[in-house]
Amino acid sequence: MRVGRHGENILVSGFGLLLTLGFAFAIVVVLILLLSEEPGAALLAFFLGPFTNSYFFANMLNAAVPLVFTGTGMALAFRGSVFNLGGEGQVYSGGLIATVICLALPGAPGLAGGTLALAGAVAAGAVLAGISGLFRMKYGTDELITSFLISAAVILLINYFITGPLDDPESNLLATRAIGLQYRLKHIFPPSRLNPSVFVALATAAAAAFLLFATRSGYELRMSGLNQEFARYGGIDVRFYLVLPLLLSGALHGLAGGLSILGTYQRCIKGFSAGMGWNGIAVALIARNHPLGVLPAAFFFAYLEAGARAAMLQADVTFELAAIAQATIFYLITAQALTHYLSLGGRQGL
Amino acid sequence: MQRILRMQEISKFFPTSGVQANDRVDFRVAPGEIHALVGENGAGKTTLMNILYGLEHPDRGRIILRDEEVQIRSPQDAARLGIGMVHQHFRLVGEFTIAENVVLGLEPTRNRFFFDREEAKRKVREVTEAHGFHLDVATRVDRLSVGQMQLVEIIKMLYRRAELLILDEPTSVLTEHDVHKLFTTLHRLVELGKTCIIITHKLGEVKAVANRVTVMRRGKVVAVRNSAEVNERELSRLMVGESGHLGEARRRATAASSGKSPGRNVLELKSVGLTVRGRERPLLEAIDLNVRAGEILGIAGVSGNGLEDIEDLVAGLRRPTTGIILHDGEDITGLTTQELRRRGLAYVPADRLHRGASLASSVSENMIVSQRRRFARAGILGRRSVSAFARALRERYSIQANLLLPMGMLSGGNIQKVILARELTSSTDFILFSEPTWGLDVAASEFVYDRIIELRSRAAAVLLISSDLDEILTLADRLIVMYRGRIVARLDNSGSLDKDAIGEYMLGIRT
Repeated sequence: MRVGRHGENILVSGFGLLLTLGFAFAIVVVLILLLSEEPGAALLAFFLGPFTNSYFFANMLNAAVPLVFTGTGMALAFRGSVFNLGGEGQVYSGGLIATVICLALPGAPGLAGGTLALAGAVAAGAVLAGISGLFRMKYGTDELITSFLISAAVILLINYFITGPLDDPESNLLATRAIGLQYRLKHIFPPSRLNPSVFVALATAAAAAFLLFATRSGYELRMSGLNQEFARYGGIDVRFYLVLPLLLSGALHGLAGGLSILGTYQRCIKGFSAGMGWNGIAVALIARNHPLGVLPAAFFFAYLEAGARAAMLQADVTFELAAIAQATIFYLITAQALTHYLSLGGRQGL
Repeated sequence: MQRILRMQEISKFFPTSGVQANDRVDFRVAPGEIHALVGENGAGKTTLMNILYGLEHPDRGRIILRDEEVQIRSPQDAARLGIGMVHQHFRLVGEFTIAENVVLGLEPTRNRFFFDREEAKRKVREVTEAHGFHLDVATRVDRLSVGQMQLVEIIKMLYRRAELLILDEPTSVLTEHDVHKLFTTLHRLVELGKTCIIITHKLGEVKAVANRVTVMRRGKVVAVRNSAEVNERELSRLMVGESGHLGEARRRATAASSGKSPGRNVLELKSVGLTVRGRERPLLEAIDLNVRAGEILGIAGVSGNGLEDIEDLVAGLRRPTTGIILHDGEDITGLTTQELRRRGLAYVPADRLHRGASLASSVSENMIVSQRRRFARAGILGRRSVSAFARALRERYSIQANLLLPMGMLSGGNIQKVILARELTSSTDFILFSEPTWGLDVAASEFVYDRIIELRSRAAAVLLISSDLDEILTLADRLIVMYRGRIVARLDNSGSLDKDAIGEYMLGIRT
């Protein structure tokens, strides 16, 4: 018997995961059969559509990119046994800050200005999450609540800026002006929006895995998350590891937002990041909080969406199908993760 | 009815710790008596009462209540049978009134959905007064004294029509005055037809309030007496066992020390005290002790008298309220665990499963926690050096385990071996052991003793905290005895110490 981290049988646990994902697919099939006049076409479009042409496929990969960042960010937070529920706001603010920096430097060279913009995005996310970590460390306030509340407030604030002072009067979208040409990441496979950020995503997942499993800090973070009393007993600064996972998580979320702007949207559109934070949680849970597992998990989520879009375009299904499929998975995966985490005795070891 | 309760041939074995907590126990209580159940920690009395109250299930044996055999699978079953338990740590909601606390779980309702507060007050007042208590049931519990809170716990039981009341170490949190009041209460309850079982290790109280006493030791019942017929010294001897021949082990220990006299003061505690909010009595008071290089200082006592608190303080996990702790003459009070470890503190905790190990992590990961920097170059953990280290430890300490397996899968003995292996291989001049052989078999215990003696011969300072008096007498050069948070005796272990006398110090009989 192959044994996993918690002594569970890996085959059984993996099978459980497949069962959950299979169940979600089953729901999609049922819905298509119920709602579509041409279920055959719809099913074909849903499951195979994204692979039928390079435009769909490339866009699907591109949609997975932000999920890799947010998924990895959540995985790091969960490994430290802290909850970052402010992902939505952190991604959004990363996007806005990156846009603002680009707009403020219309004449600067692309590499320098772009790097600055991304640094700003990273900082924005890190600060937002870090505040929660600081409060947890100093006052013991639950970071789950503070991160969520801060994020909710920040989202409203950003909406105000986008639709108000920063609004582009010439565009039909509720969005800021477009960033300068020098900042826009090159589209690898036009007309799809796939851009070099996909390589950054791969590198980030690998780097996170390396950090967690090959470095001393990663070891300390994991021990702190699994059993804080033991970590403290062993001489680990557990208070620091209440804050660090949040900083890293926020930073990655911010980066997701920044790269989305530079690579995909090229202006800060209201609500561009909706769902990236929440789906990041599901991605992390499916990946069992392993950064390398985040890659297939993010791909899977993006596949659901791409399939739904294809079914919508090529058959008569509406886009809500994707939302329902994603919601089902989110629900089932969270339930599975919850049972798993409760069996470990509570917060430690998520 | 001759007996209200008979627990017959009760046996309970805990596989995770390898301890036979109850070994064919026969426990009988007569109606209307106050029966004391005494024994040291680990004697099995709490397990026995947990079985009676439905919190544990026996492996073997029967429970016969009022001449009928019963099955008690949960506290609800116990309550239905008229058995109530007042725990050592109160389960009360401070913000609620007495009435609200008493009816919690069995609230009277109006129209099925609304909590009938007036009815609750009325019913609780009825129960309270019927038993002769004078408490205003509308008072908030957090405004009550500790003694009164305990009364509320008792009223909770009476409200649920308990006839047989179990009180677990009821006087551990009470002042002398409240103890008297409690005894009066118990007598009054008996007059009203109740039967009481008190679990205690305080022998003076046994004589003061109980009719009969059952003594347990290492899971077995060793004696049942009428309390009038037995004196405290005899009880003490029954509880701690015969003063056996410790000469053999002691000879081994003295030989190993090879006549070297202890060196400098490695660790000192000066006027250390510990008080926490909510406890009237300080947990520790006026603690002065020192451990020198090349000596083993034993701290003896019954669990709950301050041993755990000293452990936490010395390990740096809690700060003393008063006083200072010195290492080699330097003030280390309030230093973080990281700094203490850097100074060379090694620590084998009593709580192996939560403090001493991370059950979800692998054996290797557990082994390196205190020395992780040793395996990291430029922040990166060297996987090969970690596995080499882990393999070497496994070899030296005969640990039966696959190094990649999570710790939680190891047996209790092996978990302790991993902890020992880790702590003993750090180069250290000072090491703290707490209950190091609890739950270990003879061979493993001998192994631990050999390692401890070895440490002393390498001129380390060893602080050994243990509620096992035999262990302390085997290993320690000097020992101090704790009772109620104070040091009540300081003795040299000259080899001719009277075990009974120490037992009496531990139980507060002698001062």
